[in-house]
Amino acid sequence: MSVRCESIDINLNKREILKNISIEVKENEILSIIGPNGAGKSTLLKSLAGDINPTNGNIFYDGININQIDIQERAFTRSVMSQLQPIAFDFSVKEIVEMGWIDRGESKYADQFDDAVQEVILKCGVKDLIDRNFNTLSGGEQRRIHFARTLLQLWRPSNSSDPKYLFLDEPTANLDLTYEIKLLNIVKDVAQEGAGVILVLHDLNLAAKFSDKVAILKGGLLIDIGLPKDILKSTLLSDVYEIKVEVKNNPLLITYY
Amino acid sequence: MSNFLSTIGIKNIHISARQIIILNVFVITSCICFLIASVTGSINVSIGNLIRGDISELTKIVLIEIRLPRVILAALVGASLGISGAALQGLFRNPLADPGLIGVSAGAALGATLVIVLGSSISGGLFLGSFLLPLGAISGAMLVIMMLYLLTKGFGYQGVTYMLLVGIAVNAIAGVGIGILTFISTDSELRGLTFWTMGSFGGVTWPLLIPAIVIIIISISSMMTVSRNLDLIQLGEPEAYRLGVDVKKLKYKIIISCAAAVGASVSLSGMIGFVGLVVPHLVRLFGGVNHNYLLPGSAFVGAALMITADMLSRTIIQPAELPVGLITSAIGSPFFLWLIFRIKRS
Repeated sequence: MSVRCESIDINLNKREILKNISIEVKENEILSIIGPNGAGKSTLLKSLAGDINPTNGNIFYDGININQIDIQERAFTRSVMSQLQPIAFDFSVKEIVEMGWIDRGESKYADQFDDAVQEVILKCGVKDLIDRNFNTLSGGEQRRIHFARTLLQLWRPSNSSDPKYLFLDEPTANLDLTYEIKLLNIVKDVAQEGAGVILVLHDLNLAAKFSDKVAILKGGLLIDIGLPKDILKSTLLSDVYEIKVEVKNNPLLITYY
Repeated sequence: MSNFLSTIGIKNIHISARQIIILNVFVITSCICFLIASVTGSINVSIGNLIRGDISELTKIVLIEIRLPRVILAALVGASLGISGAALQGLFRNPLADPGLIGVSAGAALGATLVIVLGSSISGGLFLGSFLLPLGAISGAMLVIMMLYLLTKGFGYQGVTYMLLVGIAVNAIAGVGIGILTFISTDSELRGLTFWTMGSFGGVTWPLLIPAIVIIIISISSMMTVSRNLDLIQLGEPEAYRLGVDVKKLKYKIIISCAAAVGASVSLSGMIGFVGLVVPHLVRLFGGVNHNYLLPGSAFVGAALMITADMLSRTIIQPAELPVGLITSAIGSPFFLWLIFRIKRS
């Protein structure tokens, strides 16, 4: 079970954004995509989510071409958190979280809506925010609520073996240190429960600490992909970011100058 | 509450117990308004006598042939404008989207005027019969909504200014068009046109009303089926798509339903301003912003408001009649100003 892209190219507005990218994330695995601004990280995430069709190449969910999976089924298989837009009307926090619930009519999970919402609220530690107006929350709090919504979308009973994938674009933006670590620990738990996770991260230390695999992108090209300890090397990172980067091992610690 | 609803077979409808109570209050209020408006007017009937059937033949004719179609039309137009305002505000993610303000009603009015002035010469007055006027208005409304969508595409929530500017332009263009058509119309067409542009529920008859009932009920039902998707689109189009919403289909459904509801309403009652703007905001103030509650709530409050406005319009200066648009604008324009201050503050 995996999400996989094979030799995908993406051209937008006659510009080549991604060139010949092939990556795969399996169940129970966290893949972080890192790279400088304009590397194509978010575009890659969007194409894996099915938002953008690749110009060339294919994307597969569990071996099935994404174009053969209808959008409702996709929504049930993967959830995505990316850059957020302002919300015009005063929805409550609870309503925003509940928007993550994918209605599948008489699906086998339909009866467990209330339990699922409660579980996600407790897991994300947002119980104290739940009755507030979403638009009155700080940027960081809003992000935590969207994260809870994203998790609700992937909620399964503990005995379920349905595949699930979580795609997060800079999930820690606007979060303080405490919630940054809390959120990534939840992501780790979700992966251990069977999800395949793709993260776009800017913080290399977080990528090193929480990822099973890291992919480095620059200028639309996949520079390298592999275990954090194998590919997060001073020379490569200094080349990619064009600044001096030092990497110490045991534990892996990356310092930039 | 969800558990209770699940046991009776309604699952995950995302509406609170409080909202269900408020909706019931709206339904009862609109029924009371309907009943009072049906017995109030130049010929008053006591409700007791009506129930006992103790009314004269003349009163019966007045009630069935004049009063009842008029009150039903007021209710339908109010419901159409209320629910269309709520659906358009949801689709555009814009609290200022009102069918009148953004030019949809003006487009419908131009379409209807075209039919009144040119329709008889084109169709010989036979083709499609009483459906022709609503069809003209619906086409005009649809054209404007599509134009609005194209011009505000990509601006999302920031598209308020563009939407209002397009509304001003469309209102002006429609004004010019209606003016020219008025100028070239014959005496009999002019009489029809003048009667219609005054904006009134008077003069409606069952043969004119029945097509509108069919169109409006289908449109309202169609909008009700996408209320959950209208909630999801508040997160932004990409997020809604990722949550399984066919965004394109949703847009077409709302655009066609609103155009049909507003078009059918305008074709029979003329342009009535501010209802589509005020009603959804009132309903939100009472019970929340989710569309499972907002859409039916706006339909019932719109109906109650319009029935009351029409009743006032025909009773305040009896035996003369005030244009109903005057009353809705008198309520709506201060509300509109309050809304702008509120948006500015937040």
